[in-house]
Amino acid sequence: MRAFLQHLAASLRLHYRNKMALIYGYLFPLIFLLAFWVLYRYESVPLVRHMGELLTVSVLGGACFGLPTTMVSERERGIWRRYRLAPVSTLTLVSSTVAARYIILITAGLLQLAAALGAGMPLPAHPAGLFGAFAFVSFAFIGLGLVMAMMADNVPAVQALGQCIFLPMLIIGGIAVPLASLPEWAQHFSMFFPGRYAVESLQACVNGAGLGAVRFQALALVIIGAGGCIAASQMFRWDAQQRFSRRSGKGWLAVALAAWAIVGLMSEYRGRGAARTTAARTAAPVQPQAPPPAEPPRVVTTQPALSPAETRALSSSPPPKERPAPPRVAEKPAPKSSATEDAQPQPPHPVRSSWQEVTIADIERDLIFDRLPSDQGIVTPIAGSDEDPDPEVADHLEYIREMLPSWQPGKVADPVQRVRNLLYVAAVPDVQQTPIERFAPHAVYERLQHDIPKDQLIKILYWIAVHPTDGDDAAVDQVWALKFQSGAIDMQQVRDRAAIYGVKLLGRLLGKIPEGVRPGSDQGQTPDHRADGLGSHVRQ
Amino acid sequence: MPSVTVSDLRKQYDDVVAADGVSFEIDRGEIFGLLGPNGSGKTTTLECIIGLREPDRGEIKVAGIDARRHPRTVKERIGAVLQTTSLQDKITPREALTLFASFYLKAARPADLLERFGIVEKADAPFDSLSGGQRQRLALALAFVSNPELVFLDEPTTGLDPQSRRELHAEISRMKTDGHTVLLTTHYIDEAERLCDRIAIIDRGRIIATGAPHELIAGSTTYQSVSLATATAIDPTLLAAVPGIDDLAIDGTRTTFRTATVSRTLGGLLHELDARGIDVVDLRVKKATLEDVFIRLTDSGPREHEL
Repeated sequence: MRAFLQHLAASLRLHYRNKMALIYGYLFPLIFLLAFWVLYRYESVPLVRHMGELLTVSVLGGACFGLPTTMVSERERGIWRRYRLAPVSTLTLVSSTVAARYIILITAGLLQLAAALGAGMPLPAHPAGLFGAFAFVSFAFIGLGLVMAMMADNVPAVQALGQCIFLPMLIIGGIAVPLASLPEWAQHFSMFFPGRYAVESLQACVNGAGLGAVRFQALALVIIGAGGCIAASQMFRWDAQQRFSRRSGKGWLAVALAAWAIVGLMSEYRGRGAARTTAARTAAPVQPQAPPPAEPPRVVTTQPALSPAETRALSSSPPPKERPAPPRVAEKPAPKSSATEDAQPQPPHPVRSSWQEVTIADIERDLIFDRLPSDQGIVTPIAGSDEDPDPEVADHLEYIREMLPSWQPGKVADPVQRVRNLLYVAAVPDVQQTPIERFAPHAVYERLQHDIPKDQLIKILYWIAVHPTDGDDAAVDQVWALKFQSGAIDMQQVRDRAAIYGVKLLGRLLGKIPEGVRPGSDQGQTPDHRADGLGSHVRQ
Repeated sequence: MPSVTVSDLRKQYDDVVAADGVSFEIDRGEIFGLLGPNGSGKTTTLECIIGLREPDRGEIKVAGIDARRHPRTVKERIGAVLQTTSLQDKITPREALTLFASFYLKAARPADLLERFGIVEKADAPFDSLSGGQRQRLALALAFVSNPELVFLDEPTTGLDPQSRRELHAEISRMKTDGHTVLLTTHYIDEAERLCDRIAIIDRGRIIATGAPHELIAGSTTYQSVSLATATAIDPTLLAAVPGIDDLAIDGTRTTFRTATVSRTLGGLLHELDARGIDVVDLRVKKATLEDVFIRLTDSGPREHEL
């Protein structure tokens, strides 16, 4: 035990004296965090939706680059050979190395989490579960890192091996690129990688149903980690002169690969890869976890697609200490907002119990159209009337136009649900970021204006804007009939985007946004990179 | 009972037999040298004894313990300095000694080792700031962290400057004085001759001679070296009639050769020179050195004093 603790302490001390290790271990995760925050700043609760990915990237980097680089570098220098002269077991030294790495990973994770909380992310829904998930993820990737350390003959080989694993896992393994954006073959492929299970496990604890809801993912990570540890223990080498290609134990690599294959096949058997929304739905949005309103909502002031964090940012008010509540009654006649003002008595709004009661005054009071995300931006883009799609996109758009009149969700009796369903047709390609995303809204707007009388459509669009989480989202499972990509998709994002598209159409119907004009450029609005772009269209 | 007994040790790497039936014993309190040219198998033999390599066959006993069956028990009782010992760049001597001390049941105090090996001033300096001599002293300190009965030194002075080399020689001599048994591998003949009580000459994986340096010199050859300077150059054909001349070399007026029959050969030579009126300016007869023995046994050419 004394040897374990001394080696653990020495490993940590040496890590914290190594500037490059600190940059890779701590600064890079924060840079990733900043990058995600910048890229996804318009999304509802941007960071909370991506903490699974961010933490996974951190663990992946630390365990699959940092750990093997350190071990191989020390082996190359003869340090492990020197250790072997001492009466200390391999298990002791490897365990302390792994423990040190886990401490490095968890401190990097906590730092990342703290930075995210500082940026306005709500507290994780399941903090204890998050620690558990983090341990599972670390175990899987440390097992992988150990295998790499045994395979690589030198440090450049670690970098090469690491890239071979890191990049595919990042791009088509479900870490950096949302699974929903990937073709179906890649989604099946991702089931054989630990990255996907890592993201899902962590995300479920950040804003989902907790670790209990991702038992399979946790099991997958344990299997992958165990496979890696077993293989690495059998391939262990003290000496840099023992080249991997000439070692007799390299057949044990098959055990590590078998673990990946078993997990992938189990996942296929469970039909996880084919599921369109299962994965995303395990990571539920923040709103459903918050306490429900004490009384039926008589909403006149709320924010479609706006996270509480973003709302705070837009209103320039300090972030509240508590987790943000779901959209609910906010009886404020004046278009201003701040945390302190929320606590003050406000004159009551008229209470609307149905969409038919909505008035223009409600819309004028509650919505600010010139603060919508730019049509030329990343979120809810709409092509200008002077833009022509590529031939392939044009064909697809024509197909959508032809199919929409007969598309069943676009024909349901409830007009509010019908409008929601049609707005999903614009929202899904936006979330998936496919080429049709900028043109699909035109087809949807045409269909809506053709199908619903203008006065009703105005009220319904307002109603959807202030009730983005109401209604049914089963229609999303049928947008694939319109030749959209299949794959997992985040339903909360789809609902948010649908609400924004609704407000954009509403602005056009009311003449607040001229047709063919690109908000964010021609109207003097700030474009997408403006920090307060999304959601400012709803007064508080 | 010998401190170390090696019997019929064999280790093969692919097609190369690095140790081929190596056998020797080291007595308690003795400095034993394994002397051989590069690639002769001395490091492989040492690393098999200290548990860094698994021999293909053979028996190794260290302090009466079967080293192949109980390597950890043996490791508790030995210390070793490998050919190259590198540590992490930012670890300090004090930290390294504390770390390695935690590996042993009965370890020496790091502070004592820093004092003994003269690295107190550099105790808290990072490893990458130490000089070659300081690193070697730290390597020795690490070898002594276990309070070893036996010390194994694998070419410990290779690459050191003359001052550091002299200091290390003094330290090795002190080990003997302190009662340690030492196995030293080296390819420096003068080092082996100066430090070792006994030497085993190893070549191509085989022990070809064992004994004290003076015994090896006295017992392994009757050859002596003759160096002769004359007033005029000697015609080589003149020497054809002289018996017992080997390895003849004539460089102007300087003639050298080796002979096992000094009196008879010199008598014949001087007679021939006198008959032709050639004056002898200088004549030296030198007994064989360890280097001569080594060269003859290993069939290696001399490279100054390094072989």
